[in-house]
Amino acid sequence: MRAIYAEKLVKHFGPEIRAVDGIDLDVPQGQVFGFLGQNGSGKTTTVRMLTTLLRPTSGRAEVAGIDVFAHPAAVRKKVGVALQEVGLDELQTGRELLTLQARLFGLPARDARTRVEELLEVVTLSDAADRPLKGYSGGMKRRLDLACALVHRPEVVFLDEPTTGLDPITREAVWRYVQDLNTRLGVTFFLTTQYLEEADRLTQNIAIMDAGRIVASGSPAELKATISSDAISLKFAGGTSALQQAEATLRRFEGAEDVRVTGDEAILYIRDGASAVAQIVRALDDEGLPIASLQLTQATLDDVFLRATGHHLEAEERAKSLQEGKS
Amino acid sequence: MRAIADTMLLTRRALREAIRQPGNEIANAFIPIFFYVVTIGAIGDVAKEAFNVADYKGFQLPVAILQGAAGISSGAGLAMTLDIQSGYFEKLLLTSTPRFAIVLGRMFGDAIKSMILTIVIIVLALAVGSGFETGPVGVIALVLAAGLFALAYSGMGMAIALKTGSPQAAQAGFILFFPLLFLAPTFAPLDVFADWLAAIARVNPITYLLDGMRVLIVSGWDGLALLKGAAAIAGIGIVTFTMTGLAMRGRAS
Repeated sequence: MRAIYAEKLVKHFGPEIRAVDGIDLDVPQGQVFGFLGQNGSGKTTTVRMLTTLLRPTSGRAEVAGIDVFAHPAAVRKKVGVALQEVGLDELQTGRELLTLQARLFGLPARDARTRVEELLEVVTLSDAADRPLKGYSGGMKRRLDLACALVHRPEVVFLDEPTTGLDPITREAVWRYVQDLNTRLGVTFFLTTQYLEEADRLTQNIAIMDAGRIVASGSPAELKATISSDAISLKFAGGTSALQQAEATLRRFEGAEDVRVTGDEAILYIRDGASAVAQIVRALDDEGLPIASLQLTQATLDDVFLRATGHHLEAEERAKSLQEGKS
Repeated sequence: MRAIADTMLLTRRALREAIRQPGNEIANAFIPIFFYVVTIGAIGDVAKEAFNVADYKGFQLPVAILQGAAGISSGAGLAMTLDIQSGYFEKLLLTSTPRFAIVLGRMFGDAIKSMILTIVIIVLALAVGSGFETGPVGVIALVLAAGLFALAYSGMGMAIALKTGSPQAAQAGFILFFPLLFLAPTFAPLDVFADWLAAIARVNPITYLLDGMRVLIVSGWDGLALLKGAAAIAGIGIVTFTMTGLAMRGRAS
């Protein structure tokens, strides 16, 4: 059975902004599905449409077998959602907020109490449960938000960048909980993320969004297999002009499948990279291009992302996160 | 049943917020009590000769009650904008609770707070010598009327809040109340008004609301005045609830 299905889903904000531009999705029940893309690629708009918060410009969608736009109230009973912006009422305590959330999903008072205790334990907030949320750290709020999304035992859970801003230990705990719910109870997760490690580890299938469209999809292994070559990352001492010259040289190399220039490095995709390294170094040296650093790796999801969109995901998103953290 | 239960849960949340921010409630109580004391101090002694009003303390009591109720009921809109800005409003939209319960929960919270403030103001008025012709039953009727007015009027701030999401705009609900109050027989009876002002006051629902409340305090049971007062609250409620419903539909779709 399908947990999430979308057909030609479109959302335009005015004539200029095509946030989501005709995407198709087919996520079977019981899967952890990863939705990758940079900020502004249309991930969050898609989540907002699938969770009834936003009406589409056109197209259709089903979640848990229910038409999202014809029966939104029925869909809300079946889905749990943790949005990118953690929206909590800071005057309530963690326990009060979670209990209210449970009751508003129709849980009787006694069931709500039991469920709240269980979830507080899972997100390790039992000790802080009776403190007002204004005293919670960002990580604590995110964990509570995740508990809110799960409080009514939903069939499908949408997590919009659930581990952004979490410390590595909490991130690991969230991953374990997602895996546990998925394998033990068959809960379907629709996970948007900027962490490729997260997508690689948790998801069975992913889709890569760029400028409102899905540009690649499949299992992480399938997508990595589309890049059958190794990746050789090169940095040069000579700045932009050296990089442009190196790109031209690398493209001429026998066996070169692709060359991508991003930031201050050039990445050459080539079969049997280990054998080619010595020749590459010599050829670049002959051209007078001094190599500052060289790294040989097997293809990763980041390489898949780079191939599909023309830019890295992790480096750019992490830089943005750091910048936001500073400001 | 589910909608009623959810509304009550959200009302409790709104009241819990009020308890945790006592400063806001003290400010809400201060304004009407201050104006009441100052007005009866300034005009009370000359009201009999000037307007033929013997019990000016009783005459002014509904003004203080309506000021208090309007002040408190503007809080629902302001609190809603804070929920919108924090993202908590969307969290509520994502639950399976009916949308109108999200709005009504806050509005009922304001109605209850207004009834509590009304009791405080009545006790103060009685302590300074106001009469109360209809006795305890009249007190209950006045408290209920204040609650219903607060419920109806909170729709104004709520509609603005849902439409704009702006705390500044949501507070306009309270500011709009002042022209309505001063274009009604607030300080003096209608028969001493200039013709142009009396004409405006006659189409102002606050006039009939004040009249209905005043009969309970100063002259005794008067069915017609009470009916007109109830109709005024209903009229305000129909307008503000319609505005709120439309604004909610716009924001939640």
